Amino acid sequence: MSTVTLLIHVVMMLTMPVLMVGWVNRTKSLWAGRRGPGLLQSGWDLLRLLHKQPVFSVVISPLFRAGAWVVLAASLLAALIAPMLGSAAPLQFSHDFIVFAYTLGLARLFLMLSALDVGSSFEGMGAAREAAFSTFIEPALFLLIGTACLATGQTSFASLIGHWHQAPDFPWLVAPAVAVLFVLLQAEAARVPVDDPLTHLELTMVHEVMILDHSGPELAAMQFAGAMKMTIYAGLIAALLNPFDVSTQPFAGVVASLLIMAGVAVAVGCVESLTARLRMPYVPYYLMGASVLAALCLGATTLLVVRT
Amino acid sequence: MSALVISVLALIAGTLACLLPGNRVAAMIGVLTQFVATSLVLAVALPVVLGAPPLAADLNWAYPVGTLRVRLDALGAFFLVWSLPMTLLGSIYAVGYLRPFFDTPRMLGLHYALLNLTSLSFVLIYTADHALVFLLGWEIAALAAWLLVIWDYTNQKVRFAGFNYLVSTHIGLIFLVAATMILYTHTASWDLDRFGQWMRANGGSERNLVFLLLVASFGIKSAFFPFHSWLPRAHAAAPAHVSALMSGVIHKAGLYALVRFVFLIGQPDEWMGWFLIGFSALSAVIGALYTVGQRDLKRMLGYSSTENVGIAGIGFGIGCLGLTWGNEALVALGFAGGLLHVLNHAFFKCQLFYAAGAVYQATHSVNMERLGGLSRLMPWTALCFLLGGVAISALPPLNGFTSEFVIYSGLFTGEPIDYLPKAALAAGGAVLAFVGAVSALSITRAFGIVFLGTPRDSSVHAPTEVSRWMLVPMGVHALGVVLLGVAPALGFMLVRGPTEIALSSLPASGTDVLQPIADTLTKIGMISGSLALLIGVLIALRVMVARQPAARHRTWGCGYSAANARMQYTGSSFSSDFSARFRSVMVTVRRRKAPAGYFPSDSYLITNCVDAVERRLFSVIKRGDASATELSGKLREDDPRVAFAAALIAVTLVAGLIVLTGGPLA
Repeated sequence: MSTVTLLIHVVMMLTMPVLMVGWVNRTKSLWAGRRGPGLLQSGWDLLRLLHKQPVFSVVISPLFRAGAWVVLAASLLAALIAPMLGSAAPLQFSHDFIVFAYTLGLARLFLMLSALDVGSSFEGMGAAREAAFSTFIEPALFLLIGTACLATGQTSFASLIGHWHQAPDFPWLVAPAVAVLFVLLQAEAARVPVDDPLTHLELTMVHEVMILDHSGPELAAMQFAGAMKMTIYAGLIAALLNPFDVSTQPFAGVVASLLIMAGVAVAVGCVESLTARLRMPYVPYYLMGASVLAALCLGATTLLVVRT
Repeated sequence: MSALVISVLALIAGTLACLLPGNRVAAMIGVLTQFVATSLVLAVALPVVLGAPPLAADLNWAYPVGTLRVRLDALGAFFLVWSLPMTLLGSIYAVGYLRPFFDTPRMLGLHYALLNLTSLSFVLIYTADHALVFLLGWEIAALAAWLLVIWDYTNQKVRFAGFNYLVSTHIGLIFLVAATMILYTHTASWDLDRFGQWMRANGGSERNLVFLLLVASFGIKSAFFPFHSWLPRAHAAAPAHVSALMSGVIHKAGLYALVRFVFLIGQPDEWMGWFLIGFSALSAVIGALYTVGQRDLKRMLGYSSTENVGIAGIGFGIGCLGLTWGNEALVALGFAGGLLHVLNHAFFKCQLFYAAGAVYQATHSVNMERLGGLSRLMPWTALCFLLGGVAISALPPLNGFTSEFVIYSGLFTGEPIDYLPKAALAAGGAVLAFVGAVSALSITRAFGIVFLGTPRDSSVHAPTEVSRWMLVPMGVHALGVVLLGVAPALGFMLVRGPTEIALSSLPASGTDVLQPIADTLTKIGMISGSLALLIGVLIALRVMVARQPAARHRTWGCGYSAANARMQYTGSSFSSDFSARFRSVMVTVRRRKAPAGYFPSDSYLITNCVDAVERRLFSVIKRGDASATELSGKLREDDPRVAFAAALIAVTLVAGLIVLTGGPLA
């Protein structure tokens, strides 16, 4: 990865979370017939939170103070491994996707532990849901990567995703692959239909209820990390669909990537405007559906490759 | 070699000396002999594991045995270099854990003597090249562990757990003896080398039988599913250091023996590799699922041993497949990953058991529903449990991640192998991902419920931090967990030698397949280190820019202001979402009495996640196997769902046949 693309990647991963949230909210506002807040509103919100004095619960341990920053650091590292610009990423080596998945796992663990640290039944409920849902969705990413591994013979995340479109069976698999990544985005970034970021009833939340007792800079870190996860998965979809190779056509590659990510944000907004959150008992089936779809991708690729 | 003999003699002498009267004297003698034996063994074994040639000697013995061949190669040395030091740490921990008994008439000498015997059995098992000595060491370990488990023998449950273990481990011994007898009839020798020569030369049904017998025996020893049912009971009943040593160290002998015999086979059949992967993956999944249902902290850690031996076993299975296919890279990834996981598991599992023991000593309870908020009262124990927990969930930057990374690299291999096996291995990777997520769930639950929040039950003894005798062993393990996480190349140095033994049975190709793994691990270590650094920098920044201390307020109760500690989420409620999906595997027994009438008197609900295998075992013994009859009795012929499912199966079959005959099979 050249210095320029590396810089672009870093700038993108730091700014896109704000823009992604802006685009999603703008889409939702338009569907609701409003003009909606500015695209950078979530950025201003983060700045405002950073200047606020936090209020902590009286029962917390030091883990709560550290938790938000562990989540942020882990998300930053994951964003450095995720190939948002196609076939290259700042951190790229053999089997880096395992580091990617488990770094996000570390973020999730500390998110859940911070929630449990305040001793609230609501936050415990959110953590329990997050933990259960993550077990249903975790195999999906690995099955998808296994499929790409089979189709391309590569082993690093960026070359798996970036070179997949050269495989002969790609046209058959692109739609299910994007669908699986989209469900992963909805699950990891707490979007409808898995979770509703705007709900006002603690009993129906997943991600929001876990950060009820966060405030000030800690809340900012948690929210930025959440938006970062949405950016990462949108970036993966962009990398999968990007027709340009960023090493030979940097300008076109970056623009296409940004456009696709914006498209993903609009799609997320449309889903949120047109559907309601699933009832809690059905969420696991939705997530397991993504895992099954990914397993079918793997099976189909095996069949197609064996036949050729 | 003489150092090994001296260490054995020292351990025997120490065992006898421990029986002298006086508890303090016995404890001191026990720890001292362990220390002497550990230093002697390390002096011999460390050079071997780091690349020196293997040591071999013939010891002359009296009549029925004749010559004893002793051989210390890199594999045995690898297991020795951490087994003995960890037993030493366990003995030190025992000083703190058993301190309430020091001034009572209870004789502690026997306990320390048994710990010494455990170390002795390691030296015998890991250096023997003679089947009888191997069996002798195996039996000493089993009996010593049994006697250690029933420390609290006045409790009937503890005695039951002890006998359960004793019976199980001897059933395992029967399989092992059967396998040895088959091998002896063909070789007329007790030498493991001769066994190896025969197995390499004679593939076929008898070798397959030996392999299956050995896997069953070692599976019982290491508590693979479905041979695990003794394990949660024994681990819950034993003193914490005994549970730690059993889970982390003693039962690794089963995995050692498995790897040893795979090395003796040289080039296993392909089915053996797949069988190992499938068997291990099943253990990993079931073990992980059961950790979620447990409320007893030590029982939960026991089940996670089943999960982790499964993960290591997946690695060994990959290695076997590599040996079959003659693929050096897979051999290296599989065995190095599996062995590294064995080492890492020993580090974090002992640490977790020690922390659980500290909780038990401070509160006299390991029932997580009664605990809570311990991190403010026992900060060091909490930190150790957290570090162990992050490691056991295989998360960076700690050591559990490094070994799982190597195993994953084997599953998602870029090697030019056939497509079907490649897809099957990738599916195995997805299973491992599921296991990882489940173990993260159960460790969040265990740590979050026990150490975070507020105390749930005021009747629980108010805890203070435990003694230094217990904290120091925990600290040493924590150091190991961190060090092996940020510098995994250190761990790889230890598993390099054993992996080279595996590679030596393939024709040398000239390419170095181990160096790339070492390089990647160094990279992983650097990334883990930078992650830790980044976290540190962010927290430091946060602390520096904080202008005033944060305000404090009661936890947000969503509008309800009279919340109390009993309203917190409990362990059972935390896992209910998840367990609801796995009712068929995790059997929950409920006993309830609902409130009835206008003035309900007593009412209760008791749930218990019992072991399905054990339950089934006893029910089969009692009533015979009527499961098929019961199942068919449950299916109602007029149920539309049955008809729908049957039709779906038929349609899928027909469609599949049409596709297959039209496509690949044509």
